[in-house]
Amino acid sequence: MSTITYQAPLDPEGMVQTPQRPWRHKPRSFTMAVALAVVIPAVISAALFFFSPIPGAIVLTVIYFPLQLVASGIAAWATRGVRGIADSIIIVNAIGSTVFSVVVLLSLLGSLVVRGLRALSPHFIYQNSVFINPSTPLEYGGIGHALVGTILIVAIASLIAVPIGIATAVYITEVRGKAVPYVRFFVQAMSGVPSVVAGLFILTIAVSTGWFSQNALAGGLAYAILMLPTVARTAEEVLKLIPDELRTGALALGSTRARTVMRVVLPAAKTGIITAILLGIARVIGETAPLLLAAGNNDGTVINPFGQAIASIPVYIFNNVAVPYPDAVARAWGAALALMILIAVLFTLARVLGRGRVGRAK
Amino acid sequence: MSTAEFEEVAMMESDLISARKQAPSELRAENVSVWFGKRKVLENVNIDFPKNTVTALIGPSGCGKSTFIRTLNRLHELIPSAALAGSVLYEGKDIYSSDVDPVHIRLQIGMVFQKPNPFPSMTIRGNVLSGLKLSGMKRDNHDDIVEHTLTAAGLWTEVKERLNHAAGDLSGGQQQRLVIARALAVQPSVLLMDEPCSALDPASTLKIEETIRQLSKEVTIVIVTHNMQQAVRVADNTAFFLAQEGEPGHIVEQGLTTDIFGQPQDQRTLDYVNGRFG
Ligand SMILES: Nc1ncnc2c1ncn2[C@@H]1O[C@H](COP(=O)(O)OP(=O)(O)O)[C@@H](O)[C@H]1O
Ligand SMILES: [Mg+2]
Repeated sequence: MSTITYQAPLDPEGMVQTPQRPWRHKPRSFTMAVALAVVIPAVISAALFFFSPIPGAIVLTVIYFPLQLVASGIAAWATRGVRGIADSIIIVNAIGSTVFSVVVLLSLLGSLVVRGLRALSPHFIYQNSVFINPSTPLEYGGIGHALVGTILIVAIASLIAVPIGIATAVYITEVRGKAVPYVRFFVQAMSGVPSVVAGLFILTIAVSTGWFSQNALAGGLAYAILMLPTVARTAEEVLKLIPDELRTGALALGSTRARTVMRVVLPAAKTGIITAILLGIARVIGETAPLLLAAGNNDGTVINPFGQAIASIPVYIFNNVAVPYPDAVARAWGAALALMILIAVLFTLARVLGRGRVGRAK
Repeated sequence: MSTAEFEEVAMMESDLISARKQAPSELRAENVSVWFGKRKVLENVNIDFPKNTVTALIGPSGCGKSTFIRTLNRLHELIPSAALAGSVLYEGKDIYSSDVDPVHIRLQIGMVFQKPNPFPSMTIRGNVLSGLKLSGMKRDNHDDIVEHTLTAAGLWTEVKERLNHAAGDLSGGQQQRLVIARALAVQPSVLLMDEPCSALDPASTLKIEETIRQLSKEVTIVIVTHNMQQAVRVADNTAFFLAQEGEPGHIVEQGLTTDIFGQPQDQRTLDYVNGRFG
């Protein structure tokens, strides 16, 4: 038997091929069925929503969603037979749940923006609250002191909790010492500590004993207690994903354990480690109780972490939200919005720093 | 070349082979048995790796070749359930004696694994030089090392324009040649290779085999391979491993590669090298 070798088309003009995507072509009946399944439930629900007294939430959950399930099921059955029904149920549920959680999130952000925007202005960001009381109009005062306080306290907490947390994860996944089960149990137990207890703990051992006063350091310590287990457990999960071949590969090159961790394992896990740190910060940044107890409050700006009591955004919100003055409440919402923006900025910054493509590294 | 010259060269080569066979042993396993937990997977392995020879370890999968090769540079002990009896002598000294630092051993006895494992956080160049950094070895002329080792691994022309790209962007076969270059950069005196070519295309495989032949002038090489032709092409000596059903693996037969493939003493070796089982 002989083989067949490549022959260029004899008539290149007649055989010019253009790129096609045949898998995208669906029969018209299929497109029709999908369109009907999408439109009919939406139209019925919209009609009920606008022209009947039934509340929107009920229309959405009790009428629209089941209707959509049934309509999609019928469409799937008509076009693909019985096997299509299960598919359509899963798809409708997945899309429905996604839309639901996005709506919840957006409405939360929306209400924050709607109520907070009124207070937000440049001076609201950099001024402090000396001489400001709940009845002062929004033209005066701001959260500068509380922003400085929150950043200072979170920085102190990170400085303590991040190295210890990563070291704990390294002990569990890299050193794999005898105490691993106990350490893991301890970290797990620690993540169950309620935030108010962390605050109380610092208050009792440090503040009440007169060791140091309510200040940024005390607040940072209380935050660190809450941050540590989150950082440690997330970092542990991340390090577990690093394939063992990398460790063995480094050791086979004559690397020590320590160098393997520092130069191969941790760099390979860099983005994950950054995520661990971010989750740790996100865990604490809105916590109020520990700061009420350990850091106190202040209307003025405090820079010295070892000095006197210090303000923070959560405590600022707490103090302003339950006051019968609309401007104070607006300030609380403004502070909440500012906190969200701060978190967004922090997270974006960390992501950009963490990306640092190897390709460009020299 | 005249016939006389040719014969002379051929004579020199055969002299070389017998000289090799008698060369002082650099690495030697004595009665090595290995366990994972309670299960014994290797029994009484005795084998000699004379200086600057290439030894092929062949045998069906699961018979303990990878396990054995990992005992030779103390990677075996990284597995928590691992245990071992017997001794491995490197330059006459047992590498498992308590005063020996495994880091020191692994520096001299390098290894290339079956699955390419470049460090993803480093560039191509960074990977080649990683051994120097990780072992704290001080050497200048880094550019020369990079070019020389990548050339030896048959990768230089493909990557010389993008040495600062991420190693993870390379294809599987390229990654394997990269980790071979990485292993060469620290200039080990023994190089262990566990099926280094099983992920490579024929052209790269030939390139690596050429490199192995070239290296064997200065380096003692132990290579696990499932490719019989490869063993014939590169190895001075060959050892045939086998694990009978439910029994620990052991060396059935070892000797000059030409003898193992040409006139094996054991029927099972004959069957195996002729592709009749395994
Ligand atoms: N980490 C391990 N834990 C337990 N058993 C193992 C481990 N690695 C290998 N083994 C067992 O040891 C035997 C030899 O394996 P291996 O050395 O990988 O064989 P080969 O490389 O010859 O294919 C196999 O039976 C395998 O199941
Ligand atoms: Mg193997």
